[in-house]
Amino acid sequence: MTKSFYLKLAFSNVRKNARLFAPYILMNIGIITMFYIMHAISVNEGLNTMPGSDSLKFMLSFGTYVIAIFSAIFMFYTNSFLIKRRKKEIGLYNILGMGKRHIGIMLLLESMIIAVICIGVGLISGMVLSKLMYLILLKILSFSVTMGFTVSISSITLTILFFSSVFFVTLIYNLGHIHLSNPIQLLKGSAVGEKEPKTKWIMTLLGLVALGAGYFLALTVEEPLQALLVFFVAVILVMIGTYFLFIAGSIAALKLLKKNKAFYYKANHFTSISGMIYRMKQNAVGLANICILSTAVLVTLSTTVSLYIGMEDVLNIQFPSDVYIRNYDAEANDIKVINDKVDLLAEKNNIKITDRYGFKYMYISTLKSDHQLKYDIQYDVSSKRVDITFVTASDYEQLSGENLTLDPDQIVLFTNSENYGFDQIKLEGQTLNIVNELDHFGGITKASQPLNTEYYFIVKDEKTMINLVETATKKSDRLIDYQLTFNNSGNNADLSRFNQELMSDLTSNISSTSVRSKLLAKSDFFSVYGGFFFIGIFLGALFLMATVMIIYYKQISEGYDDKIRFEIMQKVGMSMTEIKRTIKTQIVMVFFLPLLFAIIHIAFAFNVITKLLFLFSFTNIPLFIVCTFATILAFGLIYLLVYFLTARAYYRIVK
Amino acid sequence: MSLMEINNLKKVYTTRFGGNQVVALSNVTFSIEVGEYVAIMGESGSGKTTLLNILASLDKPTSGEILLNGNSFSSIKDGKLSAFRRDHLGFVFQDFNLLDNFNLQDNIFLPLVLAGTPYREMEKRLKPIAKKLEIEDLLHKFPYEVSGGQKQRAAVARALITNPELILADEPTGALDSKSTDHLLSLFSEINNEGQTVLMVTHSVKAASHAKRVLFIKDGEVFHQIYKGSMTNELMYQKITDTLTLLATGGKRID
Repeated sequence: MTKSFYLKLAFSNVRKNARLFAPYILMNIGIITMFYIMHAISVNEGLNTMPGSDSLKFMLSFGTYVIAIFSAIFMFYTNSFLIKRRKKEIGLYNILGMGKRHIGIMLLLESMIIAVICIGVGLISGMVLSKLMYLILLKILSFSVTMGFTVSISSITLTILFFSSVFFVTLIYNLGHIHLSNPIQLLKGSAVGEKEPKTKWIMTLLGLVALGAGYFLALTVEEPLQALLVFFVAVILVMIGTYFLFIAGSIAALKLLKKNKAFYYKANHFTSISGMIYRMKQNAVGLANICILSTAVLVTLSTTVSLYIGMEDVLNIQFPSDVYIRNYDAEANDIKVINDKVDLLAEKNNIKITDRYGFKYMYISTLKSDHQLKYDIQYDVSSKRVDITFVTASDYEQLSGENLTLDPDQIVLFTNSENYGFDQIKLEGQTLNIVNELDHFGGITKASQPLNTEYYFIVKDEKTMINLVETATKKSDRLIDYQLTFNNSGNNADLSRFNQELMSDLTSNISSTSVRSKLLAKSDFFSVYGGFFFIGIFLGALFLMATVMIIYYKQISEGYDDKIRFEIMQKVGMSMTEIKRTIKTQIVMVFFLPLLFAIIHIAFAFNVITKLLFLFSFTNIPLFIVCTFATILAFGLIYLLVYFLTARAYYRIVK
Repeated sequence: MSLMEINNLKKVYTTRFGGNQVVALSNVTFSIEVGEYVAIMGESGSGKTTLLNILASLDKPTSGEILLNGNSFSSIKDGKLSAFRRDHLGFVFQDFNLLDNFNLQDNIFLPLVLAGTPYREMEKRLKPIAKKLEIEDLLHKFPYEVSGGQKQRAAVARALITNPELILADEPTGALDSKSTDHLLSLFSEINNEGQTVLMVTHSVKAASHAKRVLFIKDGEVFHQIYKGSMTNELMYQKITDTLTLLATGGKRID
């Protein structure tokens, strides 16, 4: 046998199995395109000129790794479907006299053909689309930069190396599979008699418990900061629950239906239920995968889209004022220098400054129970945590213009959430009488659900302030800090220059000074949230593609198995319409069960996700609801489309 | 009284691109009386399977007609055909055609369930049949757990449970060992003696020798037939063999 014979054989195999191979090749091309684009953008020189490019680049390269890992998993998974389907064909070659070695050469050539097609086309489409994606990214980041068309050599090399090795590993797997089985096994292929699955009650119960616990955690979490940990625990519980319930719960439920004789022995239930029991046995894991992937797609997309759209809100919450200047261990001289610099730079850049509030303060963290505040050195994450800022009456008079005279045991209170509402409060045993409660303090106003509870104590004078803090902390080395906040206005170029000069001048010339600027943070926000959004869409697309692929191969492989079954039913007296109806019930159930569960998961996750979004200062829940519904709708439509396409392929096989 | 009448049945297959025509049945006429046990023999390609498929209403003849109890098959609407098959005919196949996702009992129930029979009624009907076919203990086993002979008996039970007017058997012994074959053939004789009409298509001389009448098909026509009358199985066997030899060597029709 000559080499060209193998090549011809390999080519004709790929062509003849088009129905099996085409989706696999298409998926690979898609994955390779995405991988190339993501990597090419992450190494793009043009991004370096952008503010916040570090975090963006980090995110993009992280995205590249995530895509790489999932691509490998998906490719491997799909490949295992293919090789199972082709067992019979390969067994036939074996029986017709091809040795395992010859089959190995044939499979090697096939893999090479497929790899060359996929990597080649993937790279070309990647290069073409990377420019477009890059522009879309810049648009998302609202950053304009002139860029020529670049082809990243390092991305090409990496793509070829990575995907060649994935193809190589799948080939090794296939060869191992063929090598381990004898021709008769190969010929029989997947048509080995399936035993009826046993009901696994314990697993069902565990699944229910895990799912219930996950849902309960997700529903009952109240603290945004707790939500992060709870979210991961809940995700793991729900994943376990999903797998167990799909694997054992579905069969248990169907068996219960089967036990009900009056229900089971009805024309349309009879074949559907028994068919479903077998389908669930073979497909439970695949369906659970689809369910979890779908949930991942929905969560990723709805949150990233919400964050991106709600970015402006988030910025306003995190920055009530345009500029924050803080000086630690504030001396009178430093305070003067800071204020002079601000005036000087503002004048130089034609900037108008308003709502200017400067005050000295001390800060401690406490835990509150009833009317007691206990000093908390660990800065615990807890719903009891209250951060206290002490301010003197004279500073308050300056920033509010009101006169205020207080005794040492008297304070004026401002809380950033609902009013405290009582006359006295105890701080580590020191009783303080509350003279008045304010509804705003400088530029700070009340919020409905702040991330941290903050109390402002306005006290008689500096001595009282130091005394209170030192008694509470039992330490005598507490420093007084200074904070200056203001809003600025002017034309865009001036504002940008002003903020940058302020930042560099103050932080480099005055020790322990920090400047936070809304304007500068905005571009960071854009690069972080825009990056999230971009990666979210990419991963969403990847997961969706994988979902579609798994569904397609499930339908096809089941189609072949069911073909024989339906032939028999027809002979025994089942009409074509009855057969179609049972097929339909079964595919609809198999197909939409994962989507249904994904939506239920999302519904239960809603509470914990909104809490997590609080961590990003995102509080616009109606927007999140709209985004979630929109994503579910879009996803559902694509899912429906895939259903119609694959159902057609399935009917073609069964007929 | 004749149960089924087959008049001038003709079936012509046309190849896909309109080219060659293949005549599977050229002119078949015979009838089956109530309570008869008829075997149809013929070589491969003689048209046996085509004939059986047409009698089973799975396929349609090019011309000619089939009457069951005086009603023509062609008067039945397409949508009612499967219900008709279910109610009037019972099938036994060479490869059993049991569904491996049902246990034997559910396989036997399948046609009744499709017809909407209540569970109680199904159970009542199953009992005597299962007893007669000696599969009472196997009802909850799955097809892959029982032997070929047991599978075929379950298939016979599935055919009998609808009380069909006619049982159509397609090479029922084809996949069985000699012991199971003997058992199955004596079963067929037994149910026939109880009044059940049976039509069997077979290659096997042994199977055909149990029938009360054997029809020979050659080149799409009924070539010859033998009545068993009071002959023993052995004598019948001899007679069939002679006829087959004659057929194979191209002898003239002997009446």
